[in-house]
Amino acid sequence: MDQLSIGMTVTYLFSLAGLILAWVYYNKN
Amino acid sequence: MSEYTGAVQFTGLDFFWGIAYILLTILSGVFFYKLGKRSGADFFLAGRGLPWWLPATSNFATHTATDTPMWFSGFVYKHGMFGVWQSLFAGWCAISAWVSTRIFRRSLAGTQAEWQTLRFSGLPAEMMRGWMAGWQVALNMFIAGWVGIAMGNVCQWALGWPLWYGLVFFSTACAIYAMTSGFWGVIIADVQQGITMLITIVLVSIWAVMAVGSPQVIVDKIHALGRPEMLNPFHFTGWVSGDYPLMWLITMIAVPFLGGFGMATHFDWFVEAQRIQSAKTVKAASYSIWWGAAAVIVRNSIWVIAVLAFFVLHPDIQDESAYQLAWFRMGFEYFPAGLVGFFFAAILAIHFSTISGILNLGAMYATRDLYHHYINPRATEKKVIWVGRLMTVLVLLGSFFFGIMIGKDVTKWLFFALWLMVAGTWLPNILQVVWWRFNGWGYLSAWVANLGICWLVVWILPAFGILPELPQFYQFWILMAAVALIYIPVTFLTKPDDMDRLVKLYVQTRPIGFWGPVKKEAENRGLLQVLHKIELKAEKNAGKE
Repeated sequence: MDQLSIGMTVTYLFSLAGLILAWVYYNKN
Repeated sequence: MSEYTGAVQFTGLDFFWGIAYILLTILSGVFFYKLGKRSGADFFLAGRGLPWWLPATSNFATHTATDTPMWFSGFVYKHGMFGVWQSLFAGWCAISAWVSTRIFRRSLAGTQAEWQTLRFSGLPAEMMRGWMAGWQVALNMFIAGWVGIAMGNVCQWALGWPLWYGLVFFSTACAIYAMTSGFWGVIIADVQQGITMLITIVLVSIWAVMAVGSPQVIVDKIHALGRPEMLNPFHFTGWVSGDYPLMWLITMIAVPFLGGFGMATHFDWFVEAQRIQSAKTVKAASYSIWWGAAAVIVRNSIWVIAVLAFFVLHPDIQDESAYQLAWFRMGFEYFPAGLVGFFFAAILAIHFSTISGILNLGAMYATRDLYHHYINPRATEKKVIWVGRLMTVLVLLGSFFFGIMIGKDVTKWLFFALWLMVAGTWLPNILQVVWWRFNGWGYLSAWVANLGICWLVVWILPAFGILPELPQFYQFWILMAAVALIYIPVTFLTKPDDMDRLVKLYVQTRPIGFWGPVKKEAENRGLLQVLHKIELKAEKNAGKE
């Protein structure tokens, strides 16, 4: 694969997923 | 590199060593199955009761990975002794052991993500915890993939295997004991692996010197090859110009050592944080970090001998993916039959200790922070452990994705992952420990901005010709300044964190630096006087023993 090697996007998406989960939890609480 | 494929011939004795070692490692890990399943704290922190030498050995073993001799060989083969400075990041432990390690251990935070909700308050603290936990899950997939594919490269060169065999087969073997016994399995396996690898590193350098003749012959031949600067670690080519600029070295010294006053200033911190909390006492945590890093520095000085000997024997290799195998080739090509199998077993030790630790670490953030703190706070200990096992498999599968993507570019990814991804958050990571006014919104904005800005400065803007391709130390300082333009205004435009939260943290962890208003509030509440009495009583009791 062209060194295109996606890695940063996946990392960012995981971080964002954690942040959104925390936001949902905080408001629910 | 293809001309070396299948370069090593194994005898029956060599196969015996390799297979016996794999079984020994898996069994020594699985043996602690009963301890690992006692509770979530056992599965992820070995019950927080370890003597200092266990996490210290684990620090050394985990930071000696399959890719480590590859990138280290790459730097030393290309730059000589000057390349040794690349590994100076271990220096942050020398400061951290007596500063941030103690503060973090006193906080009792299970993970660095949990620390966020102890240091900051309200919504930004929770969002920061979620962000950091998600990032750690992805980053540990990346690290396990990066180290795993390094093993794929070694096996392809030595045994002629397809690249992905070494990645998938050995990482899966690690996952067996990381899943069954958790951190107990990891830490016990790390001890025998740490001893095995240190003996082997010494043996390879002895054989390397014997292969050339003597240490003096190595020096003479480097001079004869017209590369005397390779023997001088202080060979500079100016302040900012040439291959060896002084500014680069100043960056390499300032960044890790000042970073020792903060937390998460280097991505190794997350590995250390788990070991800090597994240590029995604050003092044991300090010793484990200091001695673990000292062993890493000593290891590097022994490695240099083998790589310089390799350079003398093979001075004309141009392809980076070929000369980064220097250390592995010294062992495989110069050890006698029988010892080659032992060398392969030591490579497995180096590999297993890192992969198992990283799988457990990624699973810890996914389980403790994302699952147990957010999704199901009422989960039983049994359920937490089972989710931990499931998350171990998830991190393993993610590592296959990243590993296949990295392929042969093991060293090329290194500097970006090690330094530039954490450049923008380097100063905020120190400020959160030493400055009370630095608040949750400021810290969160730094992290979110950093990931985007480092992507822009390092990859996107140079690709479109908007920014020139700069030396890496320039990129580091640019990233630091660019992210500061975001978090400093955000900090001053938002309120300080809740004083109750700050006082609790101050009394419990006793941070250093600029905590004046918080200290005053703690004194007004009479909390520091109580703390002083407790300390006096403890000293008195210690004197009686």
